[in-house]
Amino acid sequence: MPLTDLVTPNAIMPALKVNNKKQAIAELAAKAAVLTGQSERDILEILLQREKLGSTGVGNGVAIPHGKLPKLGKLFGLFAHLDRAVDFEALDNQPVDLVFLLLAPEGAGADHLKALARVARLLRDPVVVNKLRESRDADALYAVLALTPASAA
Amino acid sequence: MASLDTVSITILLGALLVMAGIMSSLVALRFGAPLLLAFLGVGLLAGEGGPGGIKFDDVQAAYLVGSVALGLILFDGGLRTRLSTFRSVLAPAGTLATVGVLVTAALTAPMAWLTLGLRPLEALLVGAVIASTDAAAVFFLLHAQGLRLRQRVNATLEVESATNDPFAIFLTIVLVEILMVGDKTWSAIILLLLREAILGAIIGQLGGRAMVLVLNRLDLPQGLHAPFIAAGALVIFGLAQSLHGSGFLAVYLAGLVVGNRATRARSTLIAFLDAATWLAQIAMFVLLGLLAWPSLLLQHALPALAIAAVLMFVARPAAVFLCLAPFHFSVREKAFISWVGLRGAVGIFLASIPLLVKLDKAQLYFDIGFVVVAVSLLVQGWTIPYAARRLRIAVARDVVSAHRVELDLPGQLSQELVGYRVAVGSPYLRHGITPTWAKLTLVVREERVLTPEEASSAREGDHLYFLAPPERAQTLDRFFVDMPSSMLPDPRLLGDFFVSSEATLGALAEIYNLPVESEQTSTTLSDYFLEQLGRVPRQGDKVRLGDVVLQAHTISESRLVTVGIQLEESETPEPENLIAWAKAKIARWRGQG
Repeated sequence: MPLTDLVTPNAIMPALKVNNKKQAIAELAAKAAVLTGQSERDILEILLQREKLGSTGVGNGVAIPHGKLPKLGKLFGLFAHLDRAVDFEALDNQPVDLVFLLLAPEGAGADHLKALARVARLLRDPVVVNKLRESRDADALYAVLALTPASAA
Repeated sequence: MASLDTVSITILLGALLVMAGIMSSLVALRFGAPLLLAFLGVGLLAGEGGPGGIKFDDVQAAYLVGSVALGLILFDGGLRTRLSTFRSVLAPAGTLATVGVLVTAALTAPMAWLTLGLRPLEALLVGAVIASTDAAAVFFLLHAQGLRLRQRVNATLEVESATNDPFAIFLTIVLVEILMVGDKTWSAIILLLLREAILGAIIGQLGGRAMVLVLNRLDLPQGLHAPFIAAGALVIFGLAQSLHGSGFLAVYLAGLVVGNRATRARSTLIAFLDAATWLAQIAMFVLLGLLAWPSLLLQHALPALAIAAVLMFVARPAAVFLCLAPFHFSVREKAFISWVGLRGAVGIFLASIPLLVKLDKAQLYFDIGFVVVAVSLLVQGWTIPYAARRLRIAVARDVVSAHRVELDLPGQLSQELVGYRVAVGSPYLRHGITPTWAKLTLVVREERVLTPEEASSAREGDHLYFLAPPERAQTLDRFFVDMPSSMLPDPRLLGDFFVSSEATLGALAEIYNLPVESEQTSTTLSDYFLEQLGRVPRQGDKVRLGDVVLQAHTISESRLVTVGIQLEESETPEPENLIAWAKAKIARWRGQG
């Protein structure tokens, strides 16, 4: 399943300039706040709380910060291609340049986990990841996220 | 003039003995023999009973040197212990250090009573003398053998050995006093113990803080910081002892305080104390060896061997299993902790107390103590690596640790210079990235010093120097370990997301909507794994929690570090993953075979 049900075309940041992990998360939280109309502070706080348990850098330069936001209407995804890769304290120590933020409403339950699994698995596909890295254009990035792992292979 | 000659000859002989001790380390290392035993042997050989023929029966001097040496060793031990480690094992180690010492002494005593025909109280004194594990011997053997143990086991052993000396010393002195001047009431003994412990703890804490304060405020000439601290440690020791507090407890705690606060000249302090404790060990063991008579030792060899056997095979294991019962340790871990109940200089040192106060049968206590310590060092010391492997406690050195150089920058405490050599397989070479708080300042390449701009990108073999806060320097290590890429676990096999094993079930439940009972919300993942598996987890072990599978992702020193969260499998299994998974499994079996 593609990720288009999670991300809207305006939720793509094609060349985000940040210097470190903290800044990356803060910028994503700010953008998410604008798009969802939720409090930026709340979003930042839940994301940082999750990072405290362990980095959401999942390896191969990809990070998937996520969390649960009680007042959110529906699942919300936001994708950023960082201008320059930054250290994300990922387990494999690789700098991260592809970040997918996923916020879930309180009652999402199993849907939340399924959505997370879909994001994780799509961004694990080397073909998808390479295509995302080659692109600096919001529309092109959106098109890649619309791929399914199978169609990309 | 004759007395001047005596002084010169004493210096000559003393220095020669220390040198012989240092040289003996080479021989000992080659044969894997416990080094401390080699030092003891040098003293024994040089003494009047051995070929050296040096006449030495000054118990007072030996006791003085022993006290100073022990004080420094305990201070150094405290200095190197992280406060978080100390706190995490305080309960098990503290129980071992108090109840454990009593149980060990009480269970060893019957054998002394049986074989030596001593009165019960005298037999108990024999037990007390050899009841404490020796901090020097344990620290040293664990480090020198290059053993990597499960962190909790290691920490328990180290903290135990540092904190049980004060208690064993107390027990010995109380028993000696009772034997000398007659009965004491229980309440008097307990009061005495409380006084020693409380005064020792207070003086240690305050003294440690005072030292940090002075060290950071006063502008001492370079090179005097470390001696100042070492002298300070001895002041604390002496003060506590003079006020009838436990000086041994005080110096250890002072070391803990100093070691866990930001101080200037930290690296020189560590280096200085390293040298000082080496010298202290050598001096103490050689002197104690000198004090003994080999022929006298042989006279009581049989009873001493019997006592050593009871100590090693009955008393220590019983004490360990009893004391650690309430804390989660596996049987194998308890067996290992029992076996690492190494006796050392403290035992002989305590055995010299009866000599010092001229107690009845003093020589007997000394000889028994000496032989038991020697046997313990020989048998247990030599077999520790074997035991660790056999009990599967040791962890193979998986990653060569990065060698870190730390340089103080006088004038401030917040930054220091941290240096590494760039290794072929290091993540830094592959990705050229470090946390933003570490600033690359110098590059040394082919004997030339370059600025980062001149050096452009790093090459293999470069030495890089970063400016970084001292307390975070250690976390830079991971960028410089020589880690063949094939050794990185394939993350896709071990979870979609990762969390630290210290995360609690409650925190996970909150984010992922998992069913966790309210009494389990504060359980950490590592405890959950232990609880569910009933053993130490191995990489790849899976445990279910609601809709997700938790997987042991990274294990270091037999301890779970990172946990993978495997979300519900998507509708269709991914065939390439299955194949990769099978391959990894096979590779692991092969690796173990």
